[in-house]
Amino acid sequence: MYPIVDHEVLAPRVHRLRVKAPVVAEKAKPGQFVILIIDEKGERVPFTISDWDTGAGTVDFVFIEVGKTTQQLAGLQPGDALLSFIGPLGRPAEVDHYGHVVSVLSGYGLAAMVPILKALKEKGNTLTTIVQAPDPERLFGQKPLEELSDTVIWALGTKGDGMMESTTVAMRKLLNQHPRRRIDRVIAMCSLCLMRVLSEMTRPYGIKTMVHLTPVMVDGTGMCGACRLSVGRTNRFACVHGPEFDGHEVDGWEVLMARRCTYADESILQQGFQCRGCSQW
Amino acid sequence: MTDEKETKGAPAKKQKLNLNRVDMPKQSEHERRHNFDEVALGYTWELAKEEASRCIQCKKRPCQQGCPVNIDIPDFIAALQREDIEEAAKVLKRKTSLPGVCGRVCPQELQCEEACTLNKKGAPVAIGRLERFIADWERTQGTPTMPEMAPSTGKKVAVVGSGPSGLTVASDLAILGHQVVLFEALHVAGGVLMYGIPQFRLPKEIVQREVQYVQSLGVDLRLNTVIGINYSLDELLRTDYDAVYLAPGAGLPKFLGVPGENLNMVYSANEFLTRTNLMKAYRYPEYATPIKMGKKVAVIGGGNVAMDAARCAVRLGAQEVYVIYRRTRAEMPARLEEVENAEEEGIQFHFLCNPTAFLSDGRNNVAAMELIRMKLTEPDESGRRRPVPIPGSEYILDVDTVVVSLGTSPNPLIPSTTPDLNVTRWGTVVIDERGRTSKARVWAGGDIVSGGATVISAMGEGRIAAASMHEYLSNGQKKIIPPSPAQDDDKTQ
Repeated sequence: MYPIVDHEVLAPRVHRLRVKAPVVAEKAKPGQFVILIIDEKGERVPFTISDWDTGAGTVDFVFIEVGKTTQQLAGLQPGDALLSFIGPLGRPAEVDHYGHVVSVLSGYGLAAMVPILKALKEKGNTLTTIVQAPDPERLFGQKPLEELSDTVIWALGTKGDGMMESTTVAMRKLLNQHPRRRIDRVIAMCSLCLMRVLSEMTRPYGIKTMVHLTPVMVDGTGMCGACRLSVGRTNRFACVHGPEFDGHEVDGWEVLMARRCTYADESILQQGFQCRGCSQW
Repeated sequence: MTDEKETKGAPAKKQKLNLNRVDMPKQSEHERRHNFDEVALGYTWELAKEEASRCIQCKKRPCQQGCPVNIDIPDFIAALQREDIEEAAKVLKRKTSLPGVCGRVCPQELQCEEACTLNKKGAPVAIGRLERFIADWERTQGTPTMPEMAPSTGKKVAVVGSGPSGLTVASDLAILGHQVVLFEALHVAGGVLMYGIPQFRLPKEIVQREVQYVQSLGVDLRLNTVIGINYSLDELLRTDYDAVYLAPGAGLPKFLGVPGENLNMVYSANEFLTRTNLMKAYRYPEYATPIKMGKKVAVIGGGNVAMDAARCAVRLGAQEVYVIYRRTRAEMPARLEEVENAEEEGIQFHFLCNPTAFLSDGRNNVAAMELIRMKLTEPDESGRRRPVPIPGSEYILDVDTVVVSLGTSPNPLIPSTTPDLNVTRWGTVVIDERGRTSKARVWAGGDIVSGGATVISAMGEGRIAAASMHEYLSNGQKKIIPPSPAQDDDKTQ
């Protein structure tokens, strides 16, 4: 069993859990994920690692309550334990000295991108971070983002107070300055729709754009094939070849988005969790 | 006819051969379409006695030679003939820790029963059913009979993967006195016995009971631990372990590579079976893992896994289930028994056709597939008849769920993190006839070596490797020959 050692509510329906799992903490790298099972009747669900402490043997992840398992997780407190906690899975995010890196975050990405930003910072990159949240109340984890980034752009759906209305507007402004203010790389950990839009925005500029994809997974160790997607015209499996992919090489975004929501009605209880025009609803 | 010659070695007293093989009761076709309970119900003691009495105890023991793990078959049947079931169980346990599994899923018709002297008359002793009977009897008796354990050797072994191959090596080496740690990536032990083979063919309680038995031999089971991630193979060899057995099993599923294969509701057999069996989606919502099932399901492939998937689909409520196979019935790799079970359950077989595309309903769900008719070529030098498409014979079949069951490629996690482990161009680990890999102190077996075979062949490979490992571990050398670092560096750089 894997004990919960800390539980913090970061924003309405947004939680951070800290789990004792020394074997996972020992090998964790930025951009990797874990698969957990709450109890013997639970499902296997992946979560991107947002922090870890090798000394204490703990691993953190942040999640938003959207469905059955995340609601159940939200009810866990220190003293409770998880049946299973496997990781670190997937390939770590690519990190090198690129120059100016623009990253785009929303949802759990606000926390899960932090280890990647840290590593990019250590490599001497200049970091511009666009943070998207539906509104200021649902914003969280600002401090490390501000500390690590040279510039933070808040895209919180409200104009004024130095905030942008939307991520795409912010991105468009940055791209308009390119190459005067050169962008060397874009990394996105946000909604699938937004990652697709961003990839199309950067494509004409030839700016390498890495996306962190989260297809449905079952085993997460390269056995079941649920998380397959077409990248550069070949089948890739997000759990072993990803989850980070070159957004310009991902083909079949629509299929990917449809597959993402196969189980939306079974697993997701939250009303209003629905993309406009989604094929699955 | 050579049977008279063959039976010369039989007991001196002349006895008439009994060719009435005793049937095993099964759930009715109608009933079992609606549940995941075991289809075959097993012999009663009366039926088992009757079947055991048919064995003529021939001297040659061809059945034992036909068994990949060399079970003393005539001896356990003799014990049954003496009505000593406990002794029969002891005999079984000398050579297998998984009798309840083997009695159910081994292809006996190609092994022990194929070799049985009575098979010359077309009625081999139902060895598998008797094995199953003994295992099930023992399970009701409380504590299982324990083998004689060798004193501790002080040697420590890591076994990677707790499927049939890993369980066999772990129990063999534990009985021989070695300390065994058994690593499993998933949250339960058993590998394909848990995620792959369905409940109605192999109840999971039976697998877990046999896993517990292996643990009771002193094997230390570590779940949720992925070798190649949490520890590299080199870390295992460098730290605690004198030797390692690799049996990590199947890897990424194979697909056809035709348009539309990633549409929604196109599953790999691995995903379909993992959801259903391992995660118990057939008991959703009591179990949290769902599985989406349509009304018209096509299963692509002709192996046992395809039969399992098709039969799961029936039980999950599909109205029509098609098995699509590009050769004919005669070439199907699935066991005849499974094909018959599938047919009884109403599954329709489409032979000599192959999908060329999957078509969308306009919302990225599969709605139909395009198939092309195939014909078999004349036999080539190897005697094999290849299926080739008949141009212009394409047609459309409406389906709303597809399960692709074309096998898997070996799990790449360990080879990709172990540069000096030789693999074939298909990614399977290369071993010699004793199960040794190219890397010192490392043996391998199961699907990582074969690319995909049967439970019993994986166990057989384990048995051979365990003997080789034991020989290595007991030959007196101390912590031996660390793979020469100089050499390693050359290869990795």
